[in-house]
Amino acid sequence: MTTIVLPYMLDFYPLQDEDNTRIHQFYASLREGKLTTTKCKDCGGLFWPPRVACPGCNSDQFEWVELPDEGELYAFTAMLLGAPLGMEKDVPFVLGMVQLDGTEFKVLSRIGNTKYEDCSLGMRVKLETYELEDGRVWFRFVPAD
Amino acid sequence: MKNVAIVACGLAPFGVRKATWRELVQEASKAVFDDVQNLDKKDIDSLFVGAAMPERFAFQSHVAPLVAEQVGIVPHKVVTRTELACSSGQSAVRTAWASIVTGLSDIALCLGVEKMNMPNMLETQTSMACVLEREWDGVQGASAPPFFAMCAQRHMHEYGTTVEQMAMVSEKNHHFSTTNPYAQFQKEIPAEKVLGSPMIAPPLRLFDCSGITDGAAAVILTSEERAKEFTDVPTYIIGSGQCSMASNLANYKSLSTWHPLKIAAKEAYRSAKIGPMDLDFAEVHDCFTISEIIEYEDAGFCEKGEGGKFIEEGQSNIGGKMPINTRGGLLGTGHPLGATGIGQIVEIMQQFRSTVPKERLVDGAEMAMAHNLSGAANVHSILVFGRSPR
Ligand SMILES: [Zn+2]
Repeated sequence: MTTIVLPYMLDFYPLQDEDNTRIHQFYASLREGKLTTTKCKDCGGLFWPPRVACPGCNSDQFEWVELPDEGELYAFTAMLLGAPLGMEKDVPFVLGMVQLDGTEFKVLSRIGNTKYEDCSLGMRVKLETYELEDGRVWFRFVPAD
Repeated sequence: MKNVAIVACGLAPFGVRKATWRELVQEASKAVFDDVQNLDKKDIDSLFVGAAMPERFAFQSHVAPLVAEQVGIVPHKVVTRTELACSSGQSAVRTAWASIVTGLSDIALCLGVEKMNMPNMLETQTSMACVLEREWDGVQGASAPPFFAMCAQRHMHEYGTTVEQMAMVSEKNHHFSTTNPYAQFQKEIPAEKVLGSPMIAPPLRLFDCSGITDGAAAVILTSEERAKEFTDVPTYIIGSGQCSMASNLANYKSLSTWHPLKIAAKEAYRSAKIGPMDLDFAEVHDCFTISEIIEYEDAGFCEKGEGGKFIEEGQSNIGGKMPINTRGGLLGTGHPLGATGIGQIVEIMQQFRSTVPKERLVDGAEMAMAHNLSGAANVHSILVFGRSPR
């Protein structure tokens, strides 16, 4: 059972287990270091984030597919002032939109292990998963080399 | 389609106010009823309250009846609140307009309000992060400044826009707000000062960003047939466009071109049967300096990529091709989410009535538009106004 320190309505992270979400498989895969999403079995539509009903064809039949774990920085900045509760201690941190290789998705993520000054447009980044203090799992990207 | 007119407008001063949410409501209510002639409050049959996050900022939901009681009306056709983050105020007016067009409502009050300054500003900042898609984007620590910072980065990269050009937007709008006693910021901020201000999210600095603001604004709408009972100079709604595209940032086509704005603008001009340059001035959503530059382009006031040049050449100043944000914009007057869209409409009405200070008057203006974006610029909302009905 997850223990959340902040009041639930100030907690940014999703509840991840099967008692709370139908996409718990996403978090289980993330725990194994894999970024996945749902692909519609009927129309082939690939959506981010994962779905339980297809916005394209109205099917509810999906398979889990693994997304590329590398991509390049489409855009980035840094949070220097004004971070939300629970994230103040992380300031400054880099945020970027990662164009995942071979997909249309530009996933917003923290960019770890680097400083704003050391990032550049098009920089190669790779997925890194980690455990939150309360046992939930999350992801970020870090420079690929 | 039935013509709808705005017949009265009023503001509560914008700023860091020593006043509660409900006191701001009362101030805007007093102002709008002071502005209207021959109106019995009993004849207001509908109420639309624009409020983005009263649950977060004032720990209050179900706000429409609270406003009705504060104002002293018993709405009996439509009573509701509209929430569309930064566009909540314009949403109230668009919804009231639709209700009058159908004949359901006869006279509607639209009141937009937000009380954003809280004892602990960290709470405000935390709430602002849920304007983005909280579970996937907000969770990363993103909120408005980093998102618009990345828009600026892409625009600079693709079109050569400079931080100096962005600073000029701030200088212009702060200059206009020196003429506006209702503005949060009433001091000149020269471009050099913008460029020397603290970095928030590079390349955006403090004065590239609009403020955290308390404020309220109100307008009264009715049909063209009744408008002249209440004012000598009604402001008519002559066009509308609105578009929502994507929510999760992963699904954006572009950060430097705002496609939903292009779609909303096209529909707004089509419905008003005008082209963009037929407008005499515009109120656009300058939540950040880069926003105004992208809006020059995607609203059709200049070619794509030339927004930086547009401000540099003074084309968005009075005397230029399209005066923009004469009341001071969000950068100068502040951005109390639910009040912002109605505050813009107040400016348009006062311009048409020639009651704004001379320094910011667009002389002889006949048509104008109010534009809001909301969230991470994935929704764009436009209303077009005329001094004459369609
Ligand atoms: Zn499908």
